[in-house]
Amino acid sequence: MNVWPLQFRKIGENDLLFSDDSGSFFRSDDLFLDRYIQGALTHEDAEFLAYNGQAFETDGDFAFSGFASRWAKRINTAGDLSYFILVPTLRCNLMCDYCQVSRAAENASGFDWDRDTLEQVINLLDKQKANQVKVEFQGGEPLLRLDLLDAIRNFCRSRFEAAEFVVCTNLQTVSEEAWQFLEAPDTHVSTSFDGTSKFHLKQRTKTTTVQRQFEANLDVALTRLGVDRVSALPTIDPSDCPDPAAVIHAFAARSLTSIYLRRINYQGFARKKYGFDSALVDWRQYYRRFIAALIEYNTTADVPMEEYYLTHILRRILQSGHNNHVDLRNPNWLGKDLLVIDFNGQLYPTDEARMVSRIGKIDLSIGSLEDGIDANRVATLNSNVSNFDDPDCVHCAYKAYCGLDPIDDLSRYGRVDLPRHQTDHCKSHLDLFDYAFSLLYSADPTVQKSLAIWIGVPNYNPKIAPRTL
Amino acid sequence: MIDLQLKVDPFPIVEPLVIRLQTVQASRFPAASENDAMLVYHDENIADFDVGGFSLRVHTTDAQSLDGDVVLVTPGRNTLHRLIRASSRHNTLLITEQCDQKCIMCSQPPKKHHTDLFDYFLQAVLLAPAQTTIGLSGGEPLLHKARLFEFLEKAQSARPDIRFHILTNGQHFDKRDRTSLSALNMRSILWGVPIYAANAAAHDQIVVKAGAHKTLQKNLAILGTCGAVLELRTVLLNSNVLHLEDLANHITKHQSFASVWAIMQLENIGYARMNWDREFYDSSFSFVDVAKAIDLATGRGMETLLYNFPLCSVPSEYRRFCVASISDWKQKYLSTCDGCSLRSTCTGFFEWYSENKGFKGIVAQ
Ligand code: SF4
Ligand code: SF4
Repeated sequence: MNVWPLQFRKIGENDLLFSDDSGSFFRSDDLFLDRYIQGALTHEDAEFLAYNGQAFETDGDFAFSGFASRWAKRINTAGDLSYFILVPTLRCNLMCDYCQVSRAAENASGFDWDRDTLEQVINLLDKQKANQVKVEFQGGEPLLRLDLLDAIRNFCRSRFEAAEFVVCTNLQTVSEEAWQFLEAPDTHVSTSFDGTSKFHLKQRTKTTTVQRQFEANLDVALTRLGVDRVSALPTIDPSDCPDPAAVIHAFAARSLTSIYLRRINYQGFARKKYGFDSALVDWRQYYRRFIAALIEYNTTADVPMEEYYLTHILRRILQSGHNNHVDLRNPNWLGKDLLVIDFNGQLYPTDEARMVSRIGKIDLSIGSLEDGIDANRVATLNSNVSNFDDPDCVHCAYKAYCGLDPIDDLSRYGRVDLPRHQTDHCKSHLDLFDYAFSLLYSADPTVQKSLAIWIGVPNYNPKIAPRTL
Repeated sequence: MIDLQLKVDPFPIVEPLVIRLQTVQASRFPAASENDAMLVYHDENIADFDVGGFSLRVHTTDAQSLDGDVVLVTPGRNTLHRLIRASSRHNTLLITEQCDQKCIMCSQPPKKHHTDLFDYFLQAVLLAPAQTTIGLSGGEPLLHKARLFEFLEKAQSARPDIRFHILTNGQHFDKRDRTSLSALNMRSILWGVPIYAANAAAHDQIVVKAGAHKTLQKNLAILGTCGAVLELRTVLLNSNVLHLEDLANHITKHQSFASVWAIMQLENIGYARMNWDREFYDSSFSFVDVAKAIDLATGRGMETLLYNFPLCSVPSEYRRFCVASISDWKQKYLSTCDGCSLRSTCTGFFEWYSENKGFKGIVAQ
């Protein structure tokens, strides 16, 4: 019998998690590790490994092709360009704490697409091979340029077989015209809501009048568009964060069922001032407290709730094909399936790349509407997008579920070749995976109830997380 | 029950004849081909079709329901076969009645004799309505695989819009078939292959063939590496209900390239009728083992479906896995179902289902 190479990592007090490149995993102990290293696996060990799809008899037999299939299904293939993040204006009618760099004053000039730009964007969309498209309008506040949104949406609807639109808006000032635009069934709204009125006011709206205006509009959005077409994302400052239960109830009160907790992402100076490592430790503690509150909430809730990224992590552990998040996929191809078009016609591989470039520390643009996509820059960015041959990741038990985030590395460290364990992306994901596995192996029925909801099954079957013990 | 065969008056032919019946002038089927037969006369009991100047009299009470049907008329027989019913999603061509397995729940027990009808089936496919899915079944169709591959190649090149659903026991592939398989448009063929347990002995006992499980594993891998779209099918039996969870594990590990796993309730016909008392597992009484299997397979990302399960026999949280899978022509409901709010989405029962030997928990919802 041949055993596929196993990586391992300590989980819990005495146990080890073993995993292979196809993402199959199990929990065992030091004794198993000794037998594995010494080539002294017992008959029971062999049976277990075969059962768990981690061994084969001969090259090309069914266990071999089963493994190959699972391995292959986890690979993110570079798809056709079909996701566009468009920034028709950088102007905004709000001034949130963490956003100074990615906005311009509401009345400023020179921060919008002009007629030529709009035409170039439409030409670019028209050239695509894909027969479907997803367009996300970012800003600034995109609703300040409803005319541009309308032009793009009309074009996409007639050009593509399927088209979907997301308007990322602060919902501060929404005209009746804008509501009518948002009401279309192919259009979604994504807004920021920092968890509770108090924190939203502190971090974003600043005055109660403006805060009331926002909350009223959020309620209108939920009523007129329906909860399925509205998402609200809280940005959390780990050094001053809202009570998890209060956030959960604020979301539940609005029938929202998914919370995507975003750790505040300071850029430039603020990043140094707040001290990143201590922030990460605070964040971990907060995140765990939050999930614990969520689990408790789900034990009795009629309509259960998820934390979006934890659901994503759990599904990436157990299933293949979850490549829809640009922070976590492998290889994380840049400038292939997703393109950002800024207010000035500059092109970027991700929205994060656009933000980082705005600070002026590093230029991550990959071309412009004028000159097209710069293939050399794209190739350079893509030289280090997979963890298959990263010298640290190859030893990591979470390699099959993880991925690299070169844009984050560049934005924080100005380089992509740091030892993995020194990067924020690696540290925070190691921790997330540790936490996710502690949940998967939990015997607590309340944890299992939430897991079932997040994984998408009626009941949690503990055999999904096997153990030799 | 819908009739798949209709009585006809004697018709002067020496070769079997495939024709498409048309009941309305300028219908959606262009009456250009010589295989089209127009309705010229009908009353409550008969319908006369013009077949190249001869009149074919069909005994039917509903002539209009035959519009677009592709039928086979055989010399010396007084029945015609409705090969493809234009109004149905459930059309299956019976390739052969021969088989090398003797599954204890077989609904179509094997026979020795084989008549090769591929040429007529090809004609029928060419006349089928656009975008139809056509089932190919048996017996074991792959026992005649050279002819089958030839048929598929010709059918696909003439009618790329047609999709096929081939039911095979998966015993008859070998590496050399890769060439034939790769020549086909594999995206428009769904291969339905039964697997009853991860445990080889349990599987072999159910299909009554020693070594079948081993061959099956090898051949599923061949299908997988050829890019086949695969539907794994598991009939629920007393013999395998306790193996179901292990099978879920096995499939997600070794056949994760499958598109869907169907767990199926028993159809009481053929051998299954004989073995009913021994093998029928009343899932309305206990669903635990099926549930565990669904939870494991779905959790690992394998789409899992329940075929032939009446909705009320399944706990409400698992009903979303149920598919109305029973073909229209052999589907029925019970008197209990009258007034049930789930009836329109419920698969119901097989025509030959017998209530007193069946599910104990059929209750209108
Ligand atoms: S980035 Fe870190 S957590 Fe992710 S695979 Fe590499 S070493 Fe593991
Ligand atoms: S009562 Fe009849 S129609 Fe209703 S769920 Fe049961 S089997 Fe289906």
